Amino acid sequence: MESSKQKRCRSSVVETIEAPLPLVWSILRSFDKPQAYQRFVKSCTMRSGGGGGKGGEGKGSVRDVTLVSGFPADFSTERLEELDDESHVMVVSIIGGNHRLVNYKSKTKVVASPEDMAKKTVVVESYVVDVPEGTSEEDTIFFVDNIIRYNLTSLAKLTKKMMK
Amino acid sequence: MAEICYENETMMIETTATVVKKATTTTRRRERSSSQAARRRRMEIRRFKFVSGEQEPVFVDGDLQRRRRRESTVAASTSTVFYETAKEVVVLCESLSSTVVALPDPEAYPKYGVASVCGRRREMEDAVAVHPFFSRHQTEYSSTGFHYCGVYDGHGCSHVAMKCRERLHELVREEFEADADWEKSMARSFTRMDMEVVALNADGAAKCRCELQRPDCDAVGSTAVVSVLTPEKIIVANCGDSRAVLCRNGKAIALSSDHKPDRPDELDRIQAAGGRVIYWDGPRVLGVLAMSRAIGDNYLKPYVISRPEVTVTDRANGDDFLILASDGLWDVVSNETACSVVRMCLRGKVNGQVSSSPEREMTGVGAGNVVVGGGDLPDKACEEASLLLTRLALARQSSDNVSVVVVDLRRDT
Repeated sequence: MESSKQKRCRSSVVETIEAPLPLVWSILRSFDKPQAYQRFVKSCTMRSGGGGGKGGEGKGSVRDVTLVSGFPADFSTERLEELDDESHVMVVSIIGGNHRLVNYKSKTKVVASPEDMAKKTVVVESYVVDVPEGTSEEDTIFFVDNIIRYNLTSLAKLTKKMMK
Repeated sequence: MAEICYENETMMIETTATVVKKATTTTRRRERSSSQAARRRRMEIRRFKFVSGEQEPVFVDGDLQRRRRRESTVAASTSTVFYETAKEVVVLCESLSSTVVALPDPEAYPKYGVASVCGRRREMEDAVAVHPFFSRHQTEYSSTGFHYCGVYDGHGCSHVAMKCRERLHELVREEFEADADWEKSMARSFTRMDMEVVALNADGAAKCRCELQRPDCDAVGSTAVVSVLTPEKIIVANCGDSRAVLCRNGKAIALSSDHKPDRPDELDRIQAAGGRVIYWDGPRVLGVLAMSRAIGDNYLKPYVISRPEVTVTDRANGDDFLILASDGLWDVVSNETACSVVRMCLRGKVNGQVSSSPEREMTGVGAGNVVVGGGDLPDKACEEASLLLTRLALARQSSDNVSVVVVDLRRDT
């Protein structure tokens, strides 16, 4: 009930990466290693692995993420809701932490780019989150879009480096 | 003159050595330094033994003469202290033979103290640099020294702050020697420092933990508040939200202005550059960084710039001391309170209250990593003052690293 009173907002960030889909997906899907491409993640510890799939990679897995200093949060607890290697979809929820992103849920979908299916990949990350008290919807979207964009830019750099 | 200068430079190069050791108390560090010095030339042995033998409290009656004598001898040696981590001290020693260089006026020798604590932050990302006589200005009959101190509060990781500690004073010296205008030389040296760390971050060549994880370190940066003390002036250059405060005639005077994103002129500059300031746990550039200027932070340029604001203040008889500290202190202690605390220490009213085993006493407030001391030639009162300020910050629930430098500016002590 309390949740339904809170204003929510949603947005999507799209990034085209100059790398083949399998490479991009292999990094994105590693739920236990977000620090590989997420710019503000310092380290990650798996709290529990889900029943299915490889250790720490199954549905229901929970990770404790430590964030870098200077960032407006120190840690975040996140759960893997869905991971589909056929349709290249990953759904992650934030379930705790000392940040202001409450009821955050994101869906990341990866598809080969129509421009060049063998060498380019389009990553779409869509999310929904409560608008924190005292912050406007516009600012919330700006902030989260910004973080996601930084992460995907970092992912692009990483894949470029890996292909050398 | 040229010959003397040449000899001086050769001597400095020959006698420069880096000694790495772990130290948690002043006495222990002095002893080790003396031990290290013993391996060098005889003259140095005598000088260091003299220093380490100094046991009397600073303000005991009759000590003034001994102190003056000690300073005359000590003036022939300079030392520079770098804080690698809270538990490791790097000491760079330089010795100058009195036959080569006229001794500086003993009263010109800086009295300073440094304290730095990790606090509740998981890692130490602050760095401090103190370089007495980092730049010399010599005439035929005398030698005056400029003294440098800097506090660098890192974020994202420690390597930018560590690089500032290693390099910034060298850049300041180079730029000032090239053009004796403080505003310009400080701006150029900060720009060069920023360029060096931006290149380091972009290459992923910082060789610290974060490099192992990702191809770049774009989200790493540092504040830099720097002071140069000359016989006539106090120069302060600031970039970020650390701060320099002068105590003059008992009153606090801010020599720097914090670069917060909501400072009206900073907000205007950021918006003009196409950036935004979002209030997310306080005002932040793009909602991410809580300061509007910093060294490094590649990803936030051009909104976050490295240009320092420079103040030049004439020294005056009423000058008591100077405090440089990171925002871990200033967020919880006002300029006025900090000045009151330091004045008490420098007047000897707090002697005996500061434990001789500060580490043990500090444990209760979560400061497991304490480094105390300003080098081989610390001033006890200044050390106590800086330590007391860090304790006060922790007691007031500062959640950040806290680093403090206190420099005694009085000329009649």
